[in-house]
Amino acid sequence: MAQRTSEQLANFARQLHGKLDQLTYYELLGVSSTASIPEVRSAFYSLSNDLHPDRYHGLNDRELKDRLETIYARICEGYRVLSTPEKRAAYARALTEGKRRLTSTDRESKAPQNPEDSIRHEDAKKFFRLGMISLARKDYKGAVMNFNFARSFEPGAAVINQKLGEAQAALPKPGGPGGK
Amino acid sequence: MSVVGIDLGTTNSVIATVRDNQVVVVPAAHGGYLHPSVVSFSNDGLKYFSREAVARRIVDPKYTVFSAKRLIGLAFQSKEVQRAIARLPYELREGNNEQAVFVAPDRAYTIPEVSGLLLGYLRQCAELFLGETITGAVITVPANFNDAQRRATIDAGRIAGLDVLRVLNEPTAAALAYGLGQNMSQRIAVYDFGGGTFDITILQVEGDVFEVLATGGDTFLGGDDMDNALLNTLAELFRAEHGLDPRNDQAAKARLLIAAEQVKCHLSDFPEARGELKNIAVSDRGEQLALRFHIARNVFEAAIRNLVSRTIQTTQEVLASAGLAASQVDEIILVGGTTRVPLVRAEVERYFGRTPRTDLNPDEVVAWGAAIQAENLAHAGESLSSHAVLLDVTPRALGIAVAGGFAERILDRNVPVPVEQTRIFTTSADNQSTVRIQVCQGESRRFDENVPLGELELSGIPPARRGEVSIEVTFRVDTNGILRVRARDAATGAAREAAVNVRGGMTDVEVAEAVERQKSAESVLGDSLLPELLEVE
Repeated sequence: MAQRTSEQLANFARQLHGKLDQLTYYELLGVSSTASIPEVRSAFYSLSNDLHPDRYHGLNDRELKDRLETIYARICEGYRVLSTPEKRAAYARALTEGKRRLTSTDRESKAPQNPEDSIRHEDAKKFFRLGMISLARKDYKGAVMNFNFARSFEPGAAVINQKLGEAQAALPKPGGPGGK
Repeated sequence: MSVVGIDLGTTNSVIATVRDNQVVVVPAAHGGYLHPSVVSFSNDGLKYFSREAVARRIVDPKYTVFSAKRLIGLAFQSKEVQRAIARLPYELREGNNEQAVFVAPDRAYTIPEVSGLLLGYLRQCAELFLGETITGAVITVPANFNDAQRRATIDAGRIAGLDVLRVLNEPTAAALAYGLGQNMSQRIAVYDFGGGTFDITILQVEGDVFEVLATGGDTFLGGDDMDNALLNTLAELFRAEHGLDPRNDQAAKARLLIAAEQVKCHLSDFPEARGELKNIAVSDRGEQLALRFHIARNVFEAAIRNLVSRTIQTTQEVLASAGLAASQVDEIILVGGTTRVPLVRAEVERYFGRTPRTDLNPDEVVAWGAAIQAENLAHAGESLSSHAVLLDVTPRALGIAVAGGFAERILDRNVPVPVEQTRIFTTSADNQSTVRIQVCQGESRRFDENVPLGELELSGIPPARRGEVSIEVTFRVDTNGILRVRARDAATGAAREAAVNVRGGMTDVEVAEAVERQKSAESVLGDSLLPELLEVE
């Protein structure tokens, strides 16, 4: 592709950025679905020659720069998937499910942050972990005990109180303190 | 106004620029082109550089900082810093934000500040030599530097008043300097054995495109380790003669270390080294003790063989990760002064079954590439077609902490940059106003076994029941290999605040203060000579 004027570039970036999620990697890289790895690489190299962020190093428009980088990052992603046989096979499956992208783990994280992260005290953390293990084993008595220990080290931690409540609610004995 | 390329090394640094399409390397104050990466702080608040600073490693070891690259961007409590402290004669303390700080006579300096002083000195050398103001620089880093180390290197550049155009991987710079590829497709191995670090990188070069296929290395393996091995050999000889271990005396140890380095260089060119080291230490009776020595190359090689084997082992691992055999490499480039050691060359040649390229000076080749890239970036958008495009990869995998002490992989290692990944995060308690996400770099499944990078904080979350808020977080590793994070509300699309607190790094405020301080500070370009220590016969 020939060098663009900054206006053309901005238009190009806006259009492509807007439909990025609708494009398959094949469409993005401009190769056929039967393209060989060398063909994929050659397409990627020619796009890189044009769109690598270093090409726009001097650009002052931060938003445009950011858009171009997002576009180029997606091109890299497509190249990585289409040039790795296992990933390409996984992508073929994803395409049949109507997906256009293959993420490295291909799933969303529901609550990836560690619940114990908000606990500051080391011992509270330790007993909280033990409580979580008990909870997972459905040992609610053990869980209540461990969460109580944890709370004794750090009474203010919301996550401990919350889990303690859950464990207490699950205790088979009727009349147990309701912690909800 | 011009831009430069700087190879900020563990032991020596090189600064170069492009003039009339030719690379020009800035000479060092005392001859040659290697500027020792040493800064010495005196009681009167002055800083010494170059050979004066090296000389002060002996007379003032407590206030003379060398090998700062081993410390940059690492937390004080990290095992790398703790390991370095055991070997360093100068004092480090824990400063703000878990940083390692050096305690000078006037005040404490963060490591980016120390490196910033050095970069400021290099900049002065270049400005004097070129007669122009230097505004921007490409600074090279080992390919396996993590995010924090790259950030800290950029901070050092900013403190020196430089616009850091790019942090560039050293092997990529070397390949660029060799101008490989051109009209053919080649697979290249860059074997970089420097003063403090070892790196091996496999590149695919086609025309103007340089793609890093795989990279790996060891931040704690270099020529310094060979010097230490020789220091031990010399110290044992000394102890056998005088019944005294010179390693217990910091000044004696510093003298022996300098001698060890000279012996190493001598043994690269000659089969043996003989000499006398005067005034190493003082006996109980106050006599000056000397050491006469005679070391054959094979004794030296026996002492360093395991160090060299480690590099070959790492090379093997990196090739395996790229799915390649040693025989599939078309060209091997040697980088770093340590590749002058004959045993290193022989082992590399034996492993690849091919003679490595050494036609460019292994000490300068990285700075050459950095200068070329600085020129490319300064003129980005002008004559596009003639410039190489460097496709780098992520130096480490990136993960976040999940329950059970595990790390969940977000971005893989060795994938082309820039790379982006989006995850949805939610709250785990009712009315939770902030979500903290711990980020780490490394390949281990266990969070603890990786390098903790810092904490990402998403704040200002409106009150809601747990799990009802969805925050979309985009992790992006840019072309500098540095993580940037953006967050937005998945429901409304509104941008949300996301700050990454990098562990062991300087805050923006601290950097800005350091920039101001450096502007008003004086430095010394003095002219004292290194006392003659060693006469090699």
